[in-house]
Amino acid sequence: MSGPPPIEVRGLRKIFRQTTTGQTVVAIDHLDLTISPREVVAIVGQTGCGKSTFFDLMIGLEAPSEGLIHIGDKSPHADFDHFRGRIATVFQQDRLLPWRSALDNAKLPLELIGLPEEEQRKRALTWLNRLGLGQFTNAYPHELSGGMRQRVAIARAFAVEPDILLADEAFGHLDEVTAADLRETFLELARECGSTAILITHQLEEAISVGDRIVVFGKSAKLLADIHVNRWGKESHPLLREAIQSTLLNNRADPRLAGVP
Amino acid sequence: MTEEYRESVPVLTFPRQTFVSLLVFAAVWEALSYLAPYLGIPPFAIPSLVRIAKSVMTITPIDIVVTLARVIAALIVSFVLGLALAMAMYRSESLNKYLHPMIRVLMAVPVVSWILFAVLWFPGVEFRIGFVLVIVCGPVFLIDTLDAMHGVPRELRHMMQSFRPTTWQYFFKLMLPAIVPTIFTSWKVNISLAIRVVTIAELVGAVTGIGHQLSVAQELFSVADVFAWTLVLVALLFLLEAIVARVEARVLRWRA
Repeated sequence: MSGPPPIEVRGLRKIFRQTTTGQTVVAIDHLDLTISPREVVAIVGQTGCGKSTFFDLMIGLEAPSEGLIHIGDKSPHADFDHFRGRIATVFQQDRLLPWRSALDNAKLPLELIGLPEEEQRKRALTWLNRLGLGQFTNAYPHELSGGMRQRVAIARAFAVEPDILLADEAFGHLDEVTAADLRETFLELARECGSTAILITHQLEEAISVGDRIVVFGKSAKLLADIHVNRWGKESHPLLREAIQSTLLNNRADPRLAGVP
Repeated sequence: MTEEYRESVPVLTFPRQTFVSLLVFAAVWEALSYLAPYLGIPPFAIPSLVRIAKSVMTITPIDIVVTLARVIAALIVSFVLGLALAMAMYRSESLNKYLHPMIRVLMAVPVVSWILFAVLWFPGVEFRIGFVLVIVCGPVFLIDTLDAMHGVPRELRHMMQSFRPTTWQYFFKLMLPAIVPTIFTSWKVNISLAIRVVTIAELVGAVTGIGHQLSVAQELFSVADVFAWTLVLVALLFLLEAIVARVEARVLRWRA
């Protein structure tokens, strides 16, 4: 297995023009970021800092206004079809197709890459079983609870065993116990699959608990801090949390973050 | 796992009120047919239920089959054309901008005008009837499906696009299933519309079909026959709607 390619973001800018006023809004301003293969990176930032725009650029649904995003030597936007089955997403809401059963929802990305029917079924069932939904494969989304639906969404993302997994506030709407359980499962599966995982979140606890790295975005996705969590001892997590909070509040890196290599 | 699994519970309803209202209507009609001479109404204007039943017994099934075939064929053609154009208009914003006003104009033209155009433009009776039905029902399918496509939640479109489908996959795995409820509603509306339009079209130019038989009944001043054929039309409409509702319930069983 060759493993996922590295991600390179260089001089990335994204500018939107408002249709009503014609004014331009800079959502991302000269962002540089490198993500190594198999890293689990949590991106935190306040509402409106450009996290979701970065997510759309990463999955290739938006084109950069300037600069580049390269996954390996290819762009997720310009080489859109190349990444079919290589990038998978989990969203804040489960976004399951209501007319499909749990099994058929989990099969969806496998159908898109054109796997044989039997293989699709086998792989989707495997992932649903891994997520504890073996008895609910024929249930429709409206018959499942919020947590179960999000599990199906995670199974759908993992079914293609992607190189890159992107999660946008994937656990934010769930209760604390369910969210913690799902976060743990998600991380375990991502590591097992050997995928690079990028989690976008506004919850500091979540970022600290899941990320190998925490990237802190200020306004216009300005990179305020890039923290390797493992270099902080577990006992330092409250301090780390405080430092990130202060960074976000003041829109500049807290000096305490500079002390750690 | 502590999360809950909810079973959906099917609900059955008995249309008792429907039977009651039909019975009341029949009783009022029968009473009026007896009272007609005393009210100064000619007896043939409100025939008794027995007389109507006799007319029903003389109905020629071939006319029902012909009308039904015309309606079903025209609805299928209208649906295919409407859906294909809606998909093209959804894909191409400029095509949408050019075609949309034209479709609105077509929809504003009265049915009678279309029948007159058809009589003046086309020699064949079947083509005339088919043309009128398609030109009336097609735009309804088109506008309904196009609006439904635009109404597919952005979240679902975004999710689907993130998995990088081809154009065909996007339509057949997301857009089409998502608009199925609207398609059923559109079919129900168009069945009712087509039954009414085909009757008028057959009245004007056809020598077969329920509309033609209504025209003959009118020439013979036979209200009982008109009533009988009208009953057939209503029954046909209910039957077609029931079939669509049955298919709808089966296809949309995923709905809460």
